[in-house]
Amino acid sequence: MKLVVCLLFCSMCFSHASFSQSDTINVLGEVMLYNKQLKDSVYTTNVLVLKDSVLRLSQPSLTNLLNFNSTVYFKENGLGMVSSPSFRGTTASQTAVLWNGININSQTTGQTDFNTINTRGFNTIEVTPGGGSVATGSGAIGGSINLVNTLKYDTGFANQLFVNYGAFNTYGIDNQTQYATEKASFSLGLSRNESENDYPYPNTDRKNENGQYNNTNVSLASGFKLNKTNTINVFANIYKGRRNFSLPTPNALKTKYTDFNTRSLISWKSTFSKVVSNLKMAVTTEEYQYFANIDSDYFTFGNVQNFIAHYNLDYSVSSKVLLTAGAQYTHNDGRGSDISSATRNLGAATLSMKHKVSSTFLYEIGLRQETNEAFGNPLLYSAGLRYTFSPFYQFKLNTSKNFRIPTYNDLYWTGLGNPNLKPETSYQGEMSHVFSYKKATLLVTGYYNKVSDLLRYVPGTDGIFRPENTNNVVIYGLESVFGYEKKIANHTVTVNATYAYTVSENTEIKKQLIYVPYHKFTMALGYRFKNINAYYQYINNGEVFTTSDNSTQDILDSYMVANLGAEYNFGKANTYKIGAQILNLWNEDYESVLNRPLPGRNLNVYLNITI
Amino acid sequence: MKKIQLNKTILLSIICLAILSCTSDDRDDPVQEVPITGDYTQGLFVLNEGGYGSSNASVSFLDNEGQLYQSIFAGVNDKNLGDTAQSMGFNEDYGYIVVNNSSTVEVVDRNTFTSIATVTSQIVNPRYIAFSDSNGFITNWGDPNDPNDDYVAVLNLETNLVESKIIVSEGPEKMVVHNGKLFVAQKGGYGYGNTITVIDLETQLVVSNIEVSDVPTGMVISDNSLYVLCAGKAPYTGEETQGALYKINANTYTTEASLSFPEGVHPSFLELDNNTLYFTQEGSVYAMTTANFQLPTTPIFEPALDGLEILYGFTVAEGLIYLADAKDYASNGETFIYNLNGALQQQFTVAIIPNSFYFNN
Repeated sequence: MKLVVCLLFCSMCFSHASFSQSDTINVLGEVMLYNKQLKDSVYTTNVLVLKDSVLRLSQPSLTNLLNFNSTVYFKENGLGMVSSPSFRGTTASQTAVLWNGININSQTTGQTDFNTINTRGFNTIEVTPGGGSVATGSGAIGGSINLVNTLKYDTGFANQLFVNYGAFNTYGIDNQTQYATEKASFSLGLSRNESENDYPYPNTDRKNENGQYNNTNVSLASGFKLNKTNTINVFANIYKGRRNFSLPTPNALKTKYTDFNTRSLISWKSTFSKVVSNLKMAVTTEEYQYFANIDSDYFTFGNVQNFIAHYNLDYSVSSKVLLTAGAQYTHNDGRGSDISSATRNLGAATLSMKHKVSSTFLYEIGLRQETNEAFGNPLLYSAGLRYTFSPFYQFKLNTSKNFRIPTYNDLYWTGLGNPNLKPETSYQGEMSHVFSYKKATLLVTGYYNKVSDLLRYVPGTDGIFRPENTNNVVIYGLESVFGYEKKIANHTVTVNATYAYTVSENTEIKKQLIYVPYHKFTMALGYRFKNINAYYQYINNGEVFTTSDNSTQDILDSYMVANLGAEYNFGKANTYKIGAQILNLWNEDYESVLNRPLPGRNLNVYLNITI
Repeated sequence: MKKIQLNKTILLSIICLAILSCTSDDRDDPVQEVPITGDYTQGLFVLNEGGYGSSNASVSFLDNEGQLYQSIFAGVNDKNLGDTAQSMGFNEDYGYIVVNNSSTVEVVDRNTFTSIATVTSQIVNPRYIAFSDSNGFITNWGDPNDPNDDYVAVLNLETNLVESKIIVSEGPEKMVVHNGKLFVAQKGGYGYGNTITVIDLETQLVVSNIEVSDVPTGMVISDNSLYVLCAGKAPYTGEETQGALYKINANTYTTEASLSFPEGVHPSFLELDNNTLYFTQEGSVYAMTTANFQLPTTPIFEPALDGLEILYGFTVAEGLIYLADAKDYASNGETFIYNLNGALQQQFTVAIIPNSFYFNN
């Protein structure tokens, strides 16, 4: 059935020759070649850009946003609980999460819990499938997610207040204040979310017990144009979250977990006629505490501080050739109840060239030499080309070598860590076809990715799990992103959809990795008429295996979930929006992790005031 | 004209797509030929603990005709067994399944597997169950991070309610009952224990703590001797200690003999059949007679040669050796049955992480 849907979808898109970009989700196809200088960004892969208007309509967790709007697959231990991604069929730690370009994956676990990222703190989120290690270092094997604070100038004062309240005593307050002159821009965001989260498990007499959570996020973004050549930007983000972990079975011991993460970044950019110099320095801290018994004061913890410095120098040889040289340095300092105090230093040098051969043909090459004490000195690369056949069709090809280094836990866990681990290595290639016509775009990408030395926890003969470099995984698949907008008089209709077909196979046993669906489909339909905005979000996640032998009695069934929402704007000069959402409209009884039910149909209302 | 039609087709397709509830239900029912009444009077139970946190523990049953049934608890009772089933015990007409991470003990009719009761009160991180005439005794780790709240819960077998707690030192595991006394091996929970606690069944008081080596993992009684196998602390603890086998007088609580395993060797399990002790060491099976209290140097067989990956459960009964293979802990495990000479008799697939065997007859 899934395949039929996919084929129908694809054929339908191909047969129609008339689309372009909708205003909410952009497929950065870079369809037109600008006559401007080349920028320090990647031209031969694809980026899905989720803007503010999409972020507002989603629930505040990054899990929810990406689940409904991208090809990334999520497993969530119940609503708001630990959530981990699988991007292009990879493991949870093979997705790099970046904050304004700085990698913020946990140094202890190697991954980001997507329910500890509050999307209200950012106004743009970029989703980049595929390898990105040359640009971002360790971790970007399946893809990367960049949380971005964009700065606007000369906009004066603006304040936006967003308040929502929903089922299970869930509320959120978010206030964004901005002030920008010609030379300076400043914005401050405060967000608080809280929920009793005691939803009934559909078709049972149980409810979600001990699932309460709350989190607070403060985000700051500011920019100062010192003069014509120099700009200083300062960003900061503080996240504090507390969750009780919902009980897997009713009589289990209650637990709780707290997160406290801080991030600060200063960047200095100087732009000359042929040279752009960009220096970034960041300090990030991460801290967790886990209480195995909520009634006890005893907890285990991990605490890592990171210092990161990036320097990039762009040199425009001509308007057609851009050379970039860069250096990166990362210092980690970690300790915890199960890891002895340890520091490590990582350095890297990068060199890249982009060459626009003609108005239709461009190629780029990037190299990254890593250097560090523990993992040798891998040389990473990426290379790609782009050819624009016509305004209607563009072709891209990209190949890259990427890696992920072991985490603090993998290396230093007392007694269990394995100091002899090698980094995971990934060789991949992808081919993209971008079709554009008027207000519609369709992107179809096929990819192949071979990951070797996969890091897994493997039981020894004593039954104790230790990290080891194990098998190889071969991943291949197809991704498709579609955007369409149509205006007729005062009516605007938007359609955004994604589809992913993913085969991710352990080459030793020839089985699909657990919790990687073959199919995932998402769709967002929007309709605007004067002051009314209505939308329908839909995901369909294919079945997944929960055992490595792919036994059929342990399959987690596929599910479809849809949300329906509408909002009305009372405002004239300012906007006063009132909106309501029905989440899980069709009251689907579903789980994304075995025996961890998610909520049935529920209601959420919100108010959004912009002055 | 053609284009308008095409547009309509597309719009229609989109609408259909978005509303279609084309989800699959490909999950096979477990091999489920459970007779409606459920008849488990004659055969072998295999307990599958399931993945930690996955709430998919189950019981497999092999009847004496060789017919295998999976997931019999859920099949009979229309509910899941729970999260991480540690062990089972049988008394009179009832079976008791100790479900560790659910902090429950499921009481079932041992012949039909119909649920009788779920013991929840005063059960926290339960491990094993043993029985005297009127009571069940359940070892509990309590809060795993608190070394001072471990206890033996005393279960009233009439009401299926816990009536009292006997506080013991950290990590109480297996128990044996002998001559009015309950012997509790303190294997250690998150820490490491090195004692056998002796509890008087009548007064429910601790009467003795017998010191042994680190991590007493197996314990059997034969005549008036208590045999205790200690694994020793593993190398990853940073303070590795040697494994040992003890012979203790079960009436005076004095150690009569002890044997040390070579350094770096950490044996597990201890089973008794026909005056012979059986244990495992680095995945192989060893045997020694109680009469000749000497550690054997060669195994009777190496199940790895037959494809067993992770030896996770071990029982010897009536001339047969039962081994559970947990494989990678993330796929269906297997049961291997050998005769006492180490010849493989039978091999069959069970469910996630099989850990122990029990017999109904």
